Amino acid sequence: MKNNHYKTRKIIILAIVLVLAFLGGREFYEIRHFKQSIVVSDAFTERFMLSDYSDSIKGTWADTPVYLYDSGEPGGSMLWLGGTHPYEPATMLAAYIAAENIKVKKGKVYIIPAANYSAMTMGILGNAYPNYYTLETQWGSKKMRIGARNANPLDQWPDPFTYVHYPSTQNLAYQDIRNLNRTYPGRPNGSLTERLSYAIMELIRQENIDLYVDMHEASLMYPVVSTYVAHDRSLDICMMASMTLSAEQFPMKCEASPKSLRGLSHREVGDFSDTLAVLMETPEPFIDRVAGRITEELMLTGKDEFLQTASEAGLLYAQPEYDIEFGSPMEYRVGRHLSSTMEVIKWMSDFFPEKEMILEFPLYEDLMEKGAGYFLQDPAKADKDKLFYN
Amino acid sequence: MLFLTELIHQIYFILAAIFAILLLRGLFKRGTRKTFIYDIVYAYSIIPFLLRALHIK
Repeated sequence: MKNNHYKTRKIIILAIVLVLAFLGGREFYEIRHFKQSIVVSDAFTERFMLSDYSDSIKGTWADTPVYLYDSGEPGGSMLWLGGTHPYEPATMLAAYIAAENIKVKKGKVYIIPAANYSAMTMGILGNAYPNYYTLETQWGSKKMRIGARNANPLDQWPDPFTYVHYPSTQNLAYQDIRNLNRTYPGRPNGSLTERLSYAIMELIRQENIDLYVDMHEASLMYPVVSTYVAHDRSLDICMMASMTLSAEQFPMKCEASPKSLRGLSHREVGDFSDTLAVLMETPEPFIDRVAGRITEELMLTGKDEFLQTASEAGLLYAQPEYDIEFGSPMEYRVGRHLSSTMEVIKWMSDFFPEKEMILEFPLYEDLMEKGAGYFLQDPAKADKDKLFYN
Repeated sequence: MLFLTELIHQIYFILAAIFAILLLRGLFKRGTRKTFIYDIVYAYSIIPFLLRALHIK
């Protein structure tokens, strides 16, 4: 009788736990399978998968859509990456806004909105932050995903004790083996993230990409915030772009890619291809360690009293100086990325006339005036051949 | 190398499933720590292994 009582108790506890597992698991399942709509602009040419350039990621969660906009007019070519680190969502939003509004008059543009797709399928462990944020558009609200920094352990696991970067053999932190921005140039028979890096490199090499732009966001306590990081060959154009932006629009620093820091795109992509490699950072308070409650509002406004205190103590590197009255709103960060990219394109076209590109897409002033949601198209009213899910 | 990497990756899922089964067994058939609290601990500890084995988390 007593045994039966114990058994019933255990079954009840197990049932409760399974219900909890279902509730938690359902949320994890939803974010893993969430799809973002994208209504491509009239300049759209075709959409293909990155695995077209390397079979080694075919059928994996690392394979990601690439959107091509080809003017048909000979000129330069650009590969534009958002979502290398999906917990920096202004990069993906900038890519979506570009993909939905771009006009290409000369040259061609390849856009990858979610470069590390696997990392987009989860949140950061232990950080308890929201999985989504909501943008107000002209046609209603749009749910946007916030991902993680590194590829999902469901797709690449276990991590080694020490990650030995290929081919430099430099020792890096173990979790960086799942970090797309530590695995360049990659290899076709390596870890999933190395294979992803390799596929991106193959796209660059096979398509003779002239300009590679990798968008990122940084915490305000990170010295490289509000900065271009330029490979040796792209340093001139980035310096000019930095000066022009700082004089005319917003402060933008420029740094040379360190030669001893391996695996990063601004170093390896430039070293292992002929492209002009550029990485860009905007200020994202959401990922600062000293920020208070990590909420959707913080993601959208960037207003945080702890960061204000840090700013007053001179601990932040963001330019202009952080001010809680303004914060670091989403439209500001997206606008920075769009204008920073445009400025680099302009200077590349100036320095290398044979690589000239003539493009139009919303810029910093447009974003600051109308907000980010204004530039997203309504998927319900889109032509079927222009609507995709990413 | 690709094959080995994939094999190790899959072994981890299998291990997760084995641990989930061991914990389930421990919940119902254990010789020590028989109190209510330990029932909860054993049952609750199954969740991460179960979700991993099901490729959910």
